[in-house]
Amino acid sequence: MLWSKTRKALRARGVMGINQRNGDYILRYNKRSLYPLVDDKIKTKKMALDAGIRVPELYGTIATEQGISTLRKVVDTHRDFVIKPAEGAGGDGIMVIADRFEDYFRSASGRIITLEELEHHISGIISGIYSLGGHRDQALIEYRVTSTELFKRISYEGVPDIRIIVLKGYPVAAMLRLPTRQSQGKANLHQGAIGVGLDLSTGVTLDGTWLNRKIQRHPDTANAVAGLTVPDWEDCLSLAARCYDLTGLGYLGVDLVMDRDHGPMMLELNARPGLNIQIAMDDGLLRRCRIIEDYLESVGDKDLPAAERIAFSKSKFAVAGPVAVEPQEPS
Amino acid sequence: MGSVKFQARLLAFFLLLLGVGSVLYQVFVQHVPLSQDETDQVWVVDAEVGFNARPNKPVKVRMFVPPQNNAYTTLNESFISNNYGVNVNTEKGNRQVTWSSRRAEGNQYLYYRLMLTQRYAESPENEPGPQFRPAPALKGPERLAAEALLEPIRQHSADVETFISETIKRVNELENDNVQLLLGSDLSPENRAKVVDLLLAMSHIPAEPVHTLRLAESQGQQPELWLRSYNGKQWLYFNPVNGQQGLPEDRLVWWRGAESLLKLDGGKSGNVSFSVHRNEMSALQLAQSLRMKDAESFIDFSLYELPLPAQQLYRILIMIPVGVILVLLMRSLVGMETLGTFTPVLVALAFRETQVLYGVLLFTFITAIGLSVRSYLEHLKLQLLPRLSVVLTFVVITMALLSLLGYKLGMGSGLSVGLFPMVVLTMVIERTSIVWEERGGSQSLKVALGTLFTAILCHLLMVWQPLVYFVFTFPGVLLCLASFMVLMGHYRGYRLTELVRFRAMVEGDKH
Repeated sequence: MLWSKTRKALRARGVMGINQRNGDYILRYNKRSLYPLVDDKIKTKKMALDAGIRVPELYGTIATEQGISTLRKVVDTHRDFVIKPAEGAGGDGIMVIADRFEDYFRSASGRIITLEELEHHISGIISGIYSLGGHRDQALIEYRVTSTELFKRISYEGVPDIRIIVLKGYPVAAMLRLPTRQSQGKANLHQGAIGVGLDLSTGVTLDGTWLNRKIQRHPDTANAVAGLTVPDWEDCLSLAARCYDLTGLGYLGVDLVMDRDHGPMMLELNARPGLNIQIAMDDGLLRRCRIIEDYLESVGDKDLPAAERIAFSKSKFAVAGPVAVEPQEPS
Repeated sequence: MGSVKFQARLLAFFLLLLGVGSVLYQVFVQHVPLSQDETDQVWVVDAEVGFNARPNKPVKVRMFVPPQNNAYTTLNESFISNNYGVNVNTEKGNRQVTWSSRRAEGNQYLYYRLMLTQRYAESPENEPGPQFRPAPALKGPERLAAEALLEPIRQHSADVETFISETIKRVNELENDNVQLLLGSDLSPENRAKVVDLLLAMSHIPAEPVHTLRLAESQGQQPELWLRSYNGKQWLYFNPVNGQQGLPEDRLVWWRGAESLLKLDGGKSGNVSFSVHRNEMSALQLAQSLRMKDAESFIDFSLYELPLPAQQLYRILIMIPVGVILVLLMRSLVGMETLGTFTPVLVALAFRETQVLYGVLLFTFITAIGLSVRSYLEHLKLQLLPRLSVVLTFVVITMALLSLLGYKLGMGSGLSVGLFPMVVLTMVIERTSIVWEERGGSQSLKVALGTLFTAILCHLLMVWQPLVYFVFTFPGVLLCLASFMVLMGHYRGYRLTELVRFRAMVEGDKH
């Protein structure tokens, strides 16, 4: 049967399925009691700040309807900022204000927004429109990340982010997520963003995946996605690896953004990271996780320092051969 | 982790063992029918007693009827007579019915009807018999003839069993002078049996005639005579005419001893004729009718003991795990997305009341209305809770309007929605809306269709009568299901949808 052949081929490549991810990784490495740490972005951010992990600066939080009136005061000193729900999922409910225009605000896509509209949006966030399960939520107002020039030619609006999967503190897989016209500036693969695999040892981009297909070029800009080097790659890996020590979650998806001025920052953490990263990297997660698990067994399950963990991952998950196919040119 | 996996497997194994064990016990020990359509042979034996009553004299008719502890289960026994008193008494292992009447005249007919089945019957108790009896005093030529016959029989036999069969063989050698002398002119089986009995008595071997009826479609059958003897362990049965040993399966012992079947006081030319018919009866009905008679049957300690309304309820409830396992398969093996975990089972239960086709239409129509109201309200920028509340209110209004419309158009109960489907529908719409809020319209459509599809499958499975019967009758099946569920908890294979999703990764291998 065709299916059993595909099944075998996937197994041979070490591709991880949802059942396997849920049963052998999430259920096994992620304690249920630790979930609130990553489900609530405010908690995550405060914890990261305490541990010295770089995050976008928090301007303020609004938890009640009465608190909405403080919005003006919070944003008064900032030209641009982002409003998001603390427990939102999939990038919904995020409003990016890029500029001011007299008494109005201007969104990232150029739309003019009144203060009343902003307040209504925050009221929606608080009432739980965007939170999982619809319970009450908080709105957080934070620093707006500016994309580096490097990614401009392979993304459409929005800010690309970097997803790194970390197993027991060892980075196992990484991809760059690029917004497209279809994803409406969101860097979420389910909504049509592109995932581009990253060579874990160098931070160089590989081919990409878009809606479960393999692609070479960005559908909106038509530029090749492969061959770019993510700046401050060491920093990115170190940030990601330290998030394990921070939360204690053994199987973690770390989302980083690359700010033009401040370098890599941790945006959010995910206790149930998706599996599409495998298509982006063109490699099975299971294969890579098994390498880490075997290694952990050989060192007797003790927690090594982050630097050693990163060194091990880099030595194991380097993509062989020259990857830079196209010369890089400043856009 | 490894030990946990082992524990889970152990648990699954024990659940399976328990489940399969209980089903096997019910099938092989309690003889519970495997399917509702299973039928059993039921034998209907009619005995017609006819006689001519003498005028102005009390009539008393006594006839043997089969004892209760035979190899068959009695379903029903009736004595049919007009103006006769009926009395049944047991005596020396035989049962006898006595019909009596103060006066009767002319030709009289009395009927005895017995319904038997082999299912649920227990093998009759083996009450021991005598192993010795004194030899009768014989004189003259008979004594000589008997001794002459016994001499070679003794030589050719090793034990009671072979002795008896040898004796029967000798007595049936009709040209033998000694046999002729003992039989006289009467060659009937009864007389032969009498001679065999005589020879056995001479050797102190007890023997007793038994009268049997053959259970096969027949008219005017006469009881067949057999001999039986107790060898210390069991009763041995012999056919006194052809020496055949062992009572065939289809024989019913009617009475034992030398007495005749019918005894008639105050009448003449009494005559009994037997007819045997074969009937089929649903095995379940049979068990239930046995239950009514307080006979032992598998009904004891089963769900069939519940009062009928409770049975009806449990016929539905007990199918829920079956639906649940289907949802589990659809989600874990196929990868189909559904609203919530077990909403499809609830929708399937709702389909019970609405019928599938109408249920699907209703489900689609009302959900569509609910969702369009929702998207309009989103346009108005209402908050989540007020928005959902308005949606649900409109859903209820739509349902009411549908019922009203159906009633006005004379479609009767067709369009009315019961309370349960309404609650389920409302819940479905709420959940679909939440999925819409969280993951967008196309995703919610996909999930809703997945739910609908799974619910239809669940419904079809949950109302499939042979399965309902099986699970209801053998609740051990639930343990087997639980065992499978435990195993599924450690299933790590790909879902079917993932094979499609990751296809790109394998295609890359080929070139």
